[in-house]
Amino acid sequence: MTEAKKTPLLDELEKGPWPSFVKEIKRAAANSPSAQDLLGQLELSYVDKKAHWKHGGLVGVMGYGGGVIGRYSDVPEQFPNVEHFHTVRINQPSGWFYTTKALRQVCDVWEKYGSGLTNLHGSTGDLVLLGTKTEHIQTIFDEISNFEEHPMDLGGSGSNLRTPSCCAGPARCEFALIDTLDICHDLTNEFQDYLHRPMWPYKSKIKISGCPNDCVASIARSDFSIQGTWRDDIKIDQEAVRAYVAEGFDIEGLVISKCPTKCMSFDGNELTIDNANCTRCMHCINKMCKALRPGDDRGATILVGGKAPILQGAMMGWVIVPFMKLEPGSGYQELKDFLEDCWAWWDEHGKTRERIGELILRLDMRNFLRGIGREPIPQMVVAPRANPFFFWWPEEVEQD
Amino acid sequence: MEELKSQILAFLEGVSKEKPRVIAEKIGAKKRDVDKACSELAKEGKIEYLYIGTSFVTLAGKDHTPGVIREE
Repeated sequence: MTEAKKTPLLDELEKGPWPSFVKEIKRAAANSPSAQDLLGQLELSYVDKKAHWKHGGLVGVMGYGGGVIGRYSDVPEQFPNVEHFHTVRINQPSGWFYTTKALRQVCDVWEKYGSGLTNLHGSTGDLVLLGTKTEHIQTIFDEISNFEEHPMDLGGSGSNLRTPSCCAGPARCEFALIDTLDICHDLTNEFQDYLHRPMWPYKSKIKISGCPNDCVASIARSDFSIQGTWRDDIKIDQEAVRAYVAEGFDIEGLVISKCPTKCMSFDGNELTIDNANCTRCMHCINKMCKALRPGDDRGATILVGGKAPILQGAMMGWVIVPFMKLEPGSGYQELKDFLEDCWAWWDEHGKTRERIGELILRLDMRNFLRGIGREPIPQMVVAPRANPFFFWWPEEVEQD
Repeated sequence: MEELKSQILAFLEGVSKEKPRVIAEKIGAKKRDVDKACSELAKEGKIEYLYIGTSFVTLAGKDHTPGVIREE
């Protein structure tokens, strides 16, 4: 094992009230030479004010292009145990529900071939295991995919479909309006080839939220955000509304004045909602969940174009399909056809490293809609409370 | 499909790495067909996917480790 090195700069990160990854890596370093060299290289990065990792290279398993992110040290002579330090992504179960046995199986594999545990889930949703060598990758894949119980697959990385992820949905949440777990599982199986073989201009993400509260931030973090919603009227229990008020609840200040479309009113006895003008933001239901409930005609809103800054700045998804029925067991064919149409258009026109939202901005919403065979709708706005950003084709505009 | 796979392998003989879209343009095939052929070739172990900022395909066995000097 490499001799333990002093890490005064990293030690600073252990001070303060928060848990520190440095403390955890130090614990792992007691048994792991790569964790020890990881500390040394990280300290050097703080001294030099630059990262000492080289990103890329050819690391994968037979037949796959996604699931492993290659990383090499640029100072291997100083830190030979982190010369290779690849990340393995493992496809998580819908909603991150693991049995302890499944987690133990993963931990056993990682104890043999990995550097220790630094974090468990990445932003994409997969189980991420950091720090293994090139020669171990195929073995890791063979072992996780042959677990006696709960065999696992690699997740997505590269210019392909990233592992779909969802909130816990109906398993734990009273607000779930769609079966996020079933949709996520179904889409993962359906598009498995897109997940493992990089074929597109860049990455594409699907995230599924059970309701407009969007606890998994699908609108900001995914190219395709699927959010549970309803299209009939909000259900009102007027007795319960009056009970809230009788208990001193400030219905005017906390609910009615905060409604983004001002579609609610309360006359001291009855609460009225102009449902045609409701944007289904859920604020009123969150505040008065004993009196207000979502409607019964449930489905999903599909938004396209969310992403973090790469070519353009950070973008949120735009509503493309205001409502789509997504019943468990239906096969979700309409949703799958929509995704395929969007990917085909993007694959044909997108530049390298251009996400679908950036392509829509570059080529315009009308080209996107014509490409996927959809009509413009009033919900298509650049940003909340902004003008629609569909521009009519010149031949469709009637001049005076 | 077998003929297309042969064309892809022959094209990749002459380059270090390439994206499926460019391969499709160069050999005059549909991108979707090239994607399917690449997928089969990867499962057969004849090509590999490579990630350097974005994804490429390359013939199996070519060394693309960053910083390693190679003769192309």
